[in-house]
Amino acid sequence: MWTYIFKRLLLIIPTLLGAATLVFLIMRVIPGDVALLILGGDQGQIDQKQLVAMRQQLGLDQPLYVQFGTWLWGVLRFDFGKSLWTGQPVIDELAIRLPLSLELALLATMVSVIISIPLGMLAAVRQDSWVDYLVRVISIGGLAIPGFWVGILCILFLVIVFGWGPPLEFTPPWINPWANFQMMVWPVLTVGYRYAAVTTRMTRSTMLEVLREDYIRTAWAKGLRERAVVIRHALKNSMLPVITLVGTEFAFLIGGLVVTETVFTLNGVGRFVVDAVAHRDYPVVQALIFLTAFSFVIVNLLVDLTYAWFDPRIRYR
Amino acid sequence: MTVRSPRTFGVVVLALVIGALILAMTSPSVAADTPRRGGVLLAVIGADAPTLDPHQEGTFATLQVVAPLYSTLLQIDPYNYPKIIGDVATDWKISSDGLTYTFKIRSDIRFHDGTPLTAADVRASYDKIVSPPAGTRSMRKNTYTMVASVEAPDASTVVFKLKHPSASLLDNLASPWNVIYPKKYLDKDPNYFLKNVMGSGPFKFKAYTRGSTFEAERNPDYFLKDRPYLNGYKFFISPETSVRAAAIRSGRAYIEFRDLPLSEVEAIKRQLGDKVTVQHTPLIGQWGVAIQNTIKPFTDVRVRRALTLGFDRYTAGRVLFPLTGLRHVGALMRPGTEWAVPPAELEKLPGFGRDAERNRAEAKKLLAEAGYPNGFKVVLKNRNVKLPYQDFAVYVIQEWRKIGVEAENRPLETAALLSDVRDHGNFELSVSATVEYIDDPDVFLRRYTTGDPNNVGRYSDPILDDLFARQGRALDPAERKKLIVDMQKRVLEQAYYMPGLWWTRNVVHWTKVKNYVAPPSHYTNQKLQDVWLAED
Amino acid sequence: MATTETTLVHGRATAALAPRLNAVKTVVKFVRTKPLGAAGAAIILGMMVVAASSGTLAPYDPYQADYAAQFARPNLDHWFGTDEFGRDLMSRIMYGARIALFVGFTASFVGCTLGGLLGVISAYAGGKIDLFLERLMDILLAFPQLILALAIASILGPAVQNVVIAISIPIIPRAARIVRAAALSVKEHIYVEAVQALGASQRRVVLRHLVPNVVAPYIIIVTAQLGGAILAEAALSYLGLGAAEPTPSWGLMLSGSALSYAEKAPWIAIFPGIAISLGVFGFNLFGDSLRDALDPKLRRKG
Repeated sequence: MWTYIFKRLLLIIPTLLGAATLVFLIMRVIPGDVALLILGGDQGQIDQKQLVAMRQQLGLDQPLYVQFGTWLWGVLRFDFGKSLWTGQPVIDELAIRLPLSLELALLATMVSVIISIPLGMLAAVRQDSWVDYLVRVISIGGLAIPGFWVGILCILFLVIVFGWGPPLEFTPPWINPWANFQMMVWPVLTVGYRYAAVTTRMTRSTMLEVLREDYIRTAWAKGLRERAVVIRHALKNSMLPVITLVGTEFAFLIGGLVVTETVFTLNGVGRFVVDAVAHRDYPVVQALIFLTAFSFVIVNLLVDLTYAWFDPRIRYR
Repeated sequence: MTVRSPRTFGVVVLALVIGALILAMTSPSVAADTPRRGGVLLAVIGADAPTLDPHQEGTFATLQVVAPLYSTLLQIDPYNYPKIIGDVATDWKISSDGLTYTFKIRSDIRFHDGTPLTAADVRASYDKIVSPPAGTRSMRKNTYTMVASVEAPDASTVVFKLKHPSASLLDNLASPWNVIYPKKYLDKDPNYFLKNVMGSGPFKFKAYTRGSTFEAERNPDYFLKDRPYLNGYKFFISPETSVRAAAIRSGRAYIEFRDLPLSEVEAIKRQLGDKVTVQHTPLIGQWGVAIQNTIKPFTDVRVRRALTLGFDRYTAGRVLFPLTGLRHVGALMRPGTEWAVPPAELEKLPGFGRDAERNRAEAKKLLAEAGYPNGFKVVLKNRNVKLPYQDFAVYVIQEWRKIGVEAENRPLETAALLSDVRDHGNFELSVSATVEYIDDPDVFLRRYTTGDPNNVGRYSDPILDDLFARQGRALDPAERKKLIVDMQKRVLEQAYYMPGLWWTRNVVHWTKVKNYVAPPSHYTNQKLQDVWLAED
Repeated sequence: MATTETTLVHGRATAALAPRLNAVKTVVKFVRTKPLGAAGAAIILGMMVVAASSGTLAPYDPYQADYAAQFARPNLDHWFGTDEFGRDLMSRIMYGARIALFVGFTASFVGCTLGGLLGVISAYAGGKIDLFLERLMDILLAFPQLILALAIASILGPAVQNVVIAISIPIIPRAARIVRAAALSVKEHIYVEAVQALGASQRRVVLRHLVPNVVAPYIIIVTAQLGGAILAEAALSYLGLGAAEPTPSWGLMLSGSALSYAEKAPWIAIFPGIAISLGVFGFNLFGDSLRDALDPKLRRKG
């Protein structure tokens, strides 16, 4: 088991390095100069000397490989440098915005799991019945509706019908749970329903496969009641793939965060990425994308390890 | 293949709206009743400040949140644009040769840490603006090239010595961006104010959560003894327009200082009626099209003229106004101001005549003469922001189709656009905006001179350079006006640049916010010292 | 082993290996047994018909502004109403179908084909090439789809063809992974079969069994990504990185101030949203049922 863990850990390193390099290259290829942007302002009068000085100050006049090396070295110490746009350490900027995104991600995942697992199970157990069709239609339909559209319609509906607007400032739930709820409930539902749609479909299909397995047939043959079969045997064995799914769809969740945070103008990491790309704020974008990749890789690793723990066959691949 | 429907819903709504706005435009200035003390003003703002130093930034996102925390040497009278009055300065004298400006400043001003504000601080702040130290930037440095030195002979006198007389110096010194910092902090670190605040304004800094909120509280030791009335203010940062409008509508915020689209304004007014006030003001800003004069076919003045002839400005004002606020037809200085080209003369310039059909016919003729009888294809670069950039482009493209010019709209992110258009001249046509805090000819017209960094069209006309230099030194207003009008006419006759429309805006606020007068610029009158809340 | 379940399910004995499919019989069976999928297919066909004939079907030029009819309610002249420039919304939506289909099909097809090729190469070349390609795909997979598309779209600038490229790139590693897995499993079984075939040429065995086995997952993933591609285009347009004005892209119609106008003219925000949802719904229904039909044992690897 330990060899497997070790091997997997080793494999991560080149992946992360590669991701870091790719991000760096992508950002440098995008046209647009952050120094020009800063000096351009709303109506700025560009002074060439200031432009040159600015580029120097930001370290943009160094050759690319030097910039890359500096950044990489910083990454290893978890120091992502300073934002080019604001001059603040990237870590600080992240720290402000992370709690909101984490809460959103967590709650959305919880909501989706609570909805999708029972629904998926139900649909699988009653395959091809009207229940199954209904669940499938709802989950497919849910997936088809653009998230940002739902978000804005949500806001509009609340404003037009109730004259209600969400709170504009994030308060952590332990300080003011009601204010936090008011701000987060709609974004959570907007992100959650799509996540739930995906998870429902997956739960259903993995359940279907499991239900066809021999040992299930044996259980039927033994005369066990449906509930015992489903819950005790099928569910346990479908959980692994579903956990896997939660891991792989984590990326899907992040995409949802980006759009939803933009729509609801939440001060989270998702919106921060979009803004930073627009500002050509290289250190921030590099840090964020790298961290996204990093967390994604870690999550997958944990999922794989869990899988391997339960299914010894995998370990010896 | 248009089906012309009878005048329908759209036009009726437009008429009703304009009528409603005229009615709604209460005179929001000095309130007759006594100001009430207390309350925190809640505002929404559409962008986050990159840094907190207005010397080093050019965005309203910085200025609006920090302006109440600082004082400036001079300011524009909030109730009487464009009159200049003192803030820190009490009076000033100009020498007869126009080269020395002497300002007397108040002696009772204290920074928020208790230290007095003296001429040395004014001098240090202006030194930073006029000659920025290494490692800092001064966004408006170019407007102070005539300043030879700034001196502080004693604690209450500041002297500006100029290299040559300047008609615009006072206007430029009234800039809301030129806040006064304490010298001792500047000496230690000129970049101190990027992240920190130490001012002498009516409010003191309280808290700032990046991307989220900015808060300040009342300064009890402000030099105007009974101001400010408010206990504090709080800005919520919210980049999405609909969300900002929803915030005002639901009462989570009381005011949006910059602009809201007419459709949102109508909806808010419909729902809240008298509880909100809409101030509709012109803005010192213009949208037009920059033309790359050094590449074909725009090297030919006939082609450039054809573009402006093909653009029906008067209809544009009608169509684009409900969508974007772009409204007034004018030349290169704002219509209605002393520097504007008089309408009678304006209509003689290419593209400004009232007969759109005739203009289009002439445009086609010019294009044929220049060798493009069937028009041509061109790329119009643009900023990737819907209002008003994209909407303006849609209209312009529609218009040019009628004379055979097929323009492809190519929006770019601001960063990429600046790089292409400003830095490298890599464009054919580009939607271009000029927005300022004051109708200052120096600032507006500089970009038509040779070699100016904002002369993105890269043309060089010695007549323009000469006119510009002369108007900058002309101290006689009548003479100056003639030079300025001539300069505008020259640019438009040669069609170096195609002006579009001048901007207007709607400032929406709850009626309980009293004594806020929206000026023609979203950069000025942001000190909030006279504002009060009728109820919390 | 019960036989009822083997109608469209390959028998367990031949695990991942499938017999040749009879196209027509399969289609008919598909419609009969998977009505949802058939409904999805009908929606897609409808979209394609509208897109192809939008030139003749659409009552107006989608770019033609009518300043007298800004924000017109849906009426007999304009069935879906008009937008802020007085352009007919129904015509714009019809032309928008072209863009949606173009983006959806092209991005998905290009991405999956490139990915599929890489997957096959990876599986059959084995060794160092396989390792290198797998690492490369892993790196690309580490990025969430939308973020990668966003970064790429920023490089290229807003335009329909750039959106296609930006969306297809994240699809490549996902397709590669699935096709590689399928190809690998075939490889194992071919080895077995080849040994058992007693002299039958390896190439014949490969061709007879490789094609159906890789084609099935390929088709599945192409159809699975179609809906997602359309949604990604809408999201990118919303963020300002997709098609540019005045192109009648559905996503673009929903972006920015279309929602500011939503109270005055709700049809501007509603119809494009419905169009997108319907289109993606159709693609998903079809793709879902297709996958059920072709190979329910195909599982996404964790």
